[in-house]
Amino acid sequence: MSEPIIETRNLTKEFLRDEFHVVALKDVTLEIPQGEFVTLMGPSGSGKSTLLHLIAAMDRPTGGEIRVLGHNLRELTDREIAHWRNENVGFIFQQFNLLPVLTALENVELPLKLTHLNKAERLEHAATALNLVGLGDRLGHFPRQLSGGQEQRVAIARAIVTDPALILADEPTGNLDAASAQEVLTILSKLNKDFGKTIVMVTHDPHAAHFATRVHHLEKGELMPDAA
Amino acid sequence: MRFLPLILRNSWRNRRRTLLTIASIGVSMCLLGVMIALYSAFWLSKPQDNQALRLVVRNRVSLAVFLPLAYRQQIEKIPGVRIATPATWFGGTYKDAREARNNFARFSVEPEKLFPLFAEWSIPEDQKQAFIHERTACVIGRDLANAFNFHLGDRIPLQGDIFPGNFEFTVRGIFDSPSNSNLMYFNKEYIDQAMPERRRGFVDTFYILIDAPEHSARVANAIDAQFRNSTGATKTESEQAFVVGFLSMLGDVRMFLVWISAAVMFTILLVSANTMAMSVRERVREVGVLKTLGFTPGTILFLILGEAVAISIAGGAIGYLISTVLLKGVQRSPMGGFLPSLHVVDPVIAAVCLALAALIGLLSSLVPALGASRAPIVEALRSTD
Ligand SMILES: Nc1ncnc2c1ncn2[C@@H]1O[C@H](COP(=O)(O)OP(=O)(O)OP(=O)(O)O)[C@@H](O)[C@H]1O
Ligand SMILES: [Mg+2]
Repeated sequence: MSEPIIETRNLTKEFLRDEFHVVALKDVTLEIPQGEFVTLMGPSGSGKSTLLHLIAAMDRPTGGEIRVLGHNLRELTDREIAHWRNENVGFIFQQFNLLPVLTALENVELPLKLTHLNKAERLEHAATALNLVGLGDRLGHFPRQLSGGQEQRVAIARAIVTDPALILADEPTGNLDAASAQEVLTILSKLNKDFGKTIVMVTHDPHAAHFATRVHHLEKGELMPDAA
Repeated sequence: MRFLPLILRNSWRNRRRTLLTIASIGVSMCLLGVMIALYSAFWLSKPQDNQALRLVVRNRVSLAVFLPLAYRQQIEKIPGVRIATPATWFGGTYKDAREARNNFARFSVEPEKLFPLFAEWSIPEDQKQAFIHERTACVIGRDLANAFNFHLGDRIPLQGDIFPGNFEFTVRGIFDSPSNSNLMYFNKEYIDQAMPERRRGFVDTFYILIDAPEHSARVANAIDAQFRNSTGATKTESEQAFVVGFLSMLGDVRMFLVWISAAVMFTILLVSANTMAMSVRERVREVGVLKTLGFTPGTILFLILGEAVAISIAGGAIGYLISTVLLKGVQRSPMGGFLPSLHVVDPVIAAVCLALAALIGLLSSLVPALGASRAPIVEALRSTD
């Protein structure tokens, strides 16, 4: 049994907004060991995205503890967190979120601009990542010249180009047709199996869960007891 | 500078808006460039070597009141004075006064003193001699000759008003000057002889050539002291100050220039602030994406400010280039004869224009850029574009 890469204890996130008080996550205690492919499932509004954001330190919890890759995220400053995320976390969105003014290659190169690599090295790494997702022949294409499935593969390449240990995906197949979704899931599965990446993926698609090594269910902000 | 391609790509993303922004900044910076050039020509430029040696004596009351020619003998006795010679604004009409270029500057002078006084002008010796020896001769500047296609031997008719009568002058010389030379000079004798007895012996100004620039204050004071209690008290100032004073008759040109420039800057600041706010708002989500990739607020601030500054500097550069074209026009125009040395292309003014443009870009985008760079990631990602 490998050591946990993500560890939460009574993790809680509340939103206070215009008198409304929403408890998005409530006392979530969870361990995700290294090398797992975990899917998070649950109805809309159950707190899946919120949990993913807390794991990526894109937001701060209002209660509880969270350790990711050996760091207590509550102790890091915003600057440290930015560097930490650049190095250790790849994030994939439902809406792809590529920069429209950049080509596929430049989009993938973007996270590397925050590293010490020189231009030649950056482009080499970016091209390698794009080859890995099967887009080696689309380096110079702009996002608008790509299909949705291709855009999402570029986004995956961008997420893995810094060789992070952890990949987080928020409904990565939500905007894709069945065939493209299958491609994306295959790539993620390969990243998990062949490259040892730990993956946490939010999904509504029960079929997607087949690729997972473990499935967690959230309901109204609470983690359901493990069925498996 | 690894972010420069992204900055440039982003600034070019909404082409129409970017072009309009560049155009509006360009127009204002062009206006500003002209203003700064005029301002510095009048109030900041150092007199040229020869100019620093020249003083102008005029009636203390106004340029419109004459001085007795007889003052010359007393002025010449003052130590440091090498030449004292009258120059009188002729006015008059050439052909049709409604056409602006016909109103070039013309003065009656003493021909033999003109070129020693303006040593920086050059003219062939035979032309100079012809001007000195022929009473109805005139000399004109190269700019004037080019503007009207005047040649040696051509006749220029002028109808006098301050000095009534019809005069005809023969072009006997064309001189070259380092500054604008939309100028015409003719013999004072020719005009005087056409005047009734009581009008002779009066002049507008005396041009004084002194022996050393550092004596100018002492000589000017000495001249004014000499005539303090006469009927026509004098005011003596450097040629440069005199030219500026002449233009100030149009109003307080100096404050006018400053206020116009300030208003232009302020307006363009508001316009581009609005544009920048718009383009940042459209990209809040992208800022969230960049932050997810690990971009720090500082880098994001740099990207947004850099984009605004790039656009502004493009506008500033274009505006400055256009302003030099305009200034070239001003310098060649009949008005140009009044202007002190005007530098059409001045690296300092170019730098000031670009720096001001950059400042406008910086200020106009600072507030939205700070807002975007500080926005929480999750909020930014939720924004729909
Ligand atoms: N920034 C926020 N401000 C206020 N409330 C929020 C915010 N983000 C999330 N919430 C609330 O927290 C709860 C959980 O939201 P979350 O986005 O995590 O759900 P989800 O499981 O991802 O849902 P979906 O499947 O629709 O994406 C919801 O009630 C939501 O309205
Ligand atoms: Mg969600």
